[in-house]
Amino acid sequence: MTVWIEIGGKKRRVELPSAGAAGALECVVDGKAVTVDAQTLQPGVMSLVVEGRQYRCVLDGDAVLIDGKRFAFEVSDPRSLQGRRGVGEGAAGPRTVKAPMPGRVVRVLVAVGGDVAEQQGVVVIEAMKMQNELKSPKAGRVIRVAVAVEDTVGAGDVLVVVE
Amino acid sequence: MRRTIQKVLIANRGEIALRVIRACREMGLRTVAVYSDADRAALHVLHADEAYRLGPAPASESYLRGDLILEAARHCGADAVHPGYGFLSENAEFAEACATAGVTFIGPPANAMRVLGSKTRARQTADAAGIPRVPGSVTGLTSAEEALKVAEGIGFPVMLKAAAGGGGKGMRAVAAREELAAAYAAASSEAERSFGSGEVYIEKLIEQPRHIEIQLMADQYGRCLYLGERECSVQRRHQKVIEEAPSAVVGEDLRRRMGEAAVRLALSAGYVNAGTVEFLVDSDQNFYFLEMNTRLQVEHPVTELVTGLDLVRMQIRVAMGEPLGLKQEDVQLRGHAIECRIYAEDPENSFFPSPGLITRLVQPGGAGIREDCGVYAGWTVPLEYDPMLSKLVAFAETRELAIDRMLRALDEYVIGGIKTNIGLFRRILNDPDFRAARIDTGYLERLLARAASVDEATVADEVVAIAAALLAVSGCERTPAVADSVQQSRWATAGRQEGLRT
Repeated sequence: MTVWIEIGGKKRRVELPSAGAAGALECVVDGKAVTVDAQTLQPGVMSLVVEGRQYRCVLDGDAVLIDGKRFAFEVSDPRSLQGRRGVGEGAAGPRTVKAPMPGRVVRVLVAVGGDVAEQQGVVVIEAMKMQNELKSPKAGRVIRVAVAVEDTVGAGDVLVVVE
Repeated sequence: MRRTIQKVLIANRGEIALRVIRACREMGLRTVAVYSDADRAALHVLHADEAYRLGPAPASESYLRGDLILEAARHCGADAVHPGYGFLSENAEFAEACATAGVTFIGPPANAMRVLGSKTRARQTADAAGIPRVPGSVTGLTSAEEALKVAEGIGFPVMLKAAAGGGGKGMRAVAAREELAAAYAAASSEAERSFGSGEVYIEKLIEQPRHIEIQLMADQYGRCLYLGERECSVQRRHQKVIEEAPSAVVGEDLRRRMGEAAVRLALSAGYVNAGTVEFLVDSDQNFYFLEMNTRLQVEHPVTELVTGLDLVRMQIRVAMGEPLGLKQEDVQLRGHAIECRIYAEDPENSFFPSPGLITRLVQPGGAGIREDCGVYAGWTVPLEYDPMLSKLVAFAETRELAIDRMLRALDEYVIGGIKTNIGLFRRILNDPDFRAARIDTGYLERLLARAASVDEATVADEVVAIAAALLAVSGCERTPAVADSVQQSRWATAGRQEGLRT
């Protein structure tokens, strides 16, 4: 199976070894074969020997920690590249402001029906003694305010929708 | 006066509470933790002999409630309170309340705290003690017009600062006359919101200074020792990020002059216990008094490593009324120590805080590594408090070796489940300017303004191959942790610019 793996801003074409394989695997990265010997040490933790070099890898949500360094990846199947952007999320459609981190809402600066300018603050979230004002990605009208003061939000939760 | 201490209540949380608990244990003292609802399972609670609930998670309803803390002390019979840093550590009313309740406050007397804790009063005391300070007002300003008058007297650029401030709150740099009125209003209002006092003073902005501070320890018999300096010039928004001891630019003569000035200040205010006098040092090695911190500080471990002294043990002994058993000439510095403050934050994304569940924790070790840590795998870092998870400290014979050792330790360090600033430390410690000690208080902002170099952004083929192998292997690894982690939808954020062995 061929996928694109984007890391560090650069996209590489990778041919994956067959799913479910273990032991010495051959991956082809941009046409170059790389042998990886994989050993699971405990759930989520692997030792990988790549071309004779040993790496301890920890799977961590959207990233992998390799010898303590964190790498986040975007993996895409070339057959499904079209339509990746959510319907209605273009510059002309509604745009959502999402919480970039878990936190508590300390101020809501807009109301449904109100107009906002691009980069105008809409909600202030506090976490770990730090307040962050989240801004509207576009000028438009507020069509939804999904939170109220004192609400606790998770990373990625929708706060406000601007049309 | 000698006092007996048998049981110490630690009015704090996180790594500093644990640090104090450890010192007490080694001294054979019983320990009492206090906790908020968010901290029931926190490490400091698990390590203490006894633990008492204070109240809900917000600090204003728990760790800042001196009355509840003293009630806990009374209830359990604690005869001393150690405040750590932050929270009530520099609160003179709390220190007094402890005394009234017959509980020994392990810190300075309330009066000394009042004199030195207010920045404007501390500046007046420094003037009286003949200690050089940054030119500017010694009293709080009453209006923007007065600020302008002072600023024109000392010349722009100037810095406005909150008299009761700290942590960069209520501070504004002002480059020119026309910016002053707005900056004064903003600084005063921020100071009012943050510290309950809008008092602001003004000083000349020293360009590209280094932040160098002197650690002190004083007993109640008039002996005060300086324990060398720490350099804390690597700062972001006036918050320290890396501290080291000794400073690469301080020689014997400057150390002695700064140390003696700091001791003079402390003695003139009747200071007892641990404290730190902060200075700015310019490129000609002139030093200027900045402020005094009347508590143990976050960065105390680097001083402990280069002096071989246990500052918390010394604090407790001084609080018991014991005299310092050392003379100034007994204080010898050896080697070099560097501390990195490990925070739950995301340097790749505007330094947003990153609270949440720690899914995995692999702590570094080996020769010359000390880690003062307040968290464990399986614990959820709460939203309510500051983001410091641990302090990683490397010690070696020379600065260069300490840096290399720290880099090695950072490579061993795994904190899973949340974002941390570990990667940022790698970038700083590999930066040629940091390695050559070409640093000042603006250094980190300049480094962050620069894009990561091509080398730093290079991602080796191995990393991509590892990702590919993980995807392949995970096809049959259906244990929950693996299955959760490798679904493509969760590998959805842009790649970070970290090289692997580059």
